[in-house]
Amino acid sequence: MAAEEQLPREDFDLLTKLHGVTGGHAYLDELYAQARGVYIMADAVKKIDVSGVEPDMAFIPPTD
Amino acid sequence: MDTLEICYMSAGVLSKLVESKEISPVEIIDAHLARIDATEPVLNSFITLLADESRIAARQAEKDIQAGKYKGPLHGIPVGLKDLYNTAGVRTTSGSKIFDTFIPAEDCTVAAKFHQAGAILLGKLNMHPFAYGPTGENLDYGHMHNPWNPEMVTGGSSGGSGSAAAAGQCTITTGSDTGGSIRIPAALCGIVGLKPTYGLVSRWGLTALSWSLDHPGPMARTVEDAAITMNIIAGHDPKDVASAKVDIPNYTAALTGDVRGLRIGMPKEYFEAPLDPQVRKSVQDAVSLLESMGAEIREVSFPMFNESQAISSTVLMSEATAFHRDLLEKDGQQIYEPVRQRLEAGLFIKAADYLRAQQARALLDQEGRRLLDDVDLLAGPTEPVTAPEILAPRVLAGEQEIGVVGALTQYTRPYNITGFPAISVPCGFSDTGMPIGLQLAGKPFDEPTVLRAAHAYEQATEWHTRRPPL
Repeated sequence: MAAEEQLPREDFDLLTKLHGVTGGHAYLDELYAQARGVYIMADAVKKIDVSGVEPDMAFIPPTD
Repeated sequence: MDTLEICYMSAGVLSKLVESKEISPVEIIDAHLARIDATEPVLNSFITLLADESRIAARQAEKDIQAGKYKGPLHGIPVGLKDLYNTAGVRTTSGSKIFDTFIPAEDCTVAAKFHQAGAILLGKLNMHPFAYGPTGENLDYGHMHNPWNPEMVTGGSSGGSGSAAAAGQCTITTGSDTGGSIRIPAALCGIVGLKPTYGLVSRWGLTALSWSLDHPGPMARTVEDAAITMNIIAGHDPKDVASAKVDIPNYTAALTGDVRGLRIGMPKEYFEAPLDPQVRKSVQDAVSLLESMGAEIREVSFPMFNESQAISSTVLMSEATAFHRDLLEKDGQQIYEPVRQRLEAGLFIKAADYLRAQQARALLDQEGRRLLDDVDLLAGPTEPVTAPEILAPRVLAGEQEIGVVGALTQYTRPYNITGFPAISVPCGFSDTGMPIGLQLAGKPFDEPTVLRAAHAYEQATEWHTRRPPL
């Protein structure tokens, strides 16, 4: 699904209000572009087959 | 002794002269302060310069050495710390005016180790605000400028650390690397930058960007100086929850100059990504030289490299927004706008997507470890391009124009995800005189092999002896 379809501008405007994000038109336009970028990244990650894999919360170094 | 020559001496050379009392720490610090005076109006490497304090420390070091209390290879050597390393009694801004008056009560672990080793702190170095950007742009304290061409970025986020070491303002500097922030400015400024294995150098007392991706490490003009620094700063720290309990080898002892029998893998995917042809040639020439010196070069495949940007960005943005959320809500309007936008964009990442990225991270880590079962090192470019112009949003990499952030982190991010050690070492210059870096990555905690190969290559070439036209 295209990022624009996942995050229409009206939904973005609502979410920014819920998150308490404020700014001028130019600022919010750029933030909208970046928020759509977040959805594109998420789509790319969703395409990776992770079945059976536990989240690697961090590289765990040896402790003893 | 010529003061400029002093400024371009490595810690390896200077330390011998200090120990034999052929040069005094006072002479060294005075030479560096004069160099800073001459170059800082162009470079803007420092946020806080400690001129008086460093002179006092130099006089004390001189007295101690004269009295036979020589502490080792960093005694009397001028260092600069990225301004997110907490320093007792010295303001630590994290590159943001929001913290312009923040004065920590305690040294971070790395600063304390430098202090114990007798190193002299010249100042706190400029950086991309909150370490959240790969260019070294900063409106609060002024942009950092590349010593090889001040119209170009230093790279970031440890930009002041890159320019200060490259221009002879400091002998050794430190950076922190979450998506490449040590290796990027090292490559773009023509110096050495080592991102050690995750957990090897304490993060305690550093401002976090992304807990699971942050790596402190050294930046210097030679591989030997990076190794000397690692001998001082590596080691377990109970104050850092991710600190590794591992034996610490003598890193300088690994610098044998011998790469015979080393197996070096060249991921073919690195050369299918957008890449400037001059960078490609310099890196291929570097690997050919290593082969002629006795290393065995193999083409390998690292398919998940292609997913590394999405995985890394999702993890990094989630963790950075979580870390800075209170600040964002309280003082968001005061944060450098591009950084604030990236922090606010992180609010749109769902928890399920963050965890999915962490699952994918595990897969990428497994793939990297499998690759390193068959080879000792992975080699490739540190950067696909040379330093872009300051504030340029996009850059040409080969035939493709791509965003600067994505370009500069293209090859560095995989090793933040895996935690593997990775170094950038100078391997050439473009037609326009801008530096190019070779990246070598190794198995977890195998810094000795990474340093050995980088040092052998460095010593077989003359790139590290060139000086910027300042």
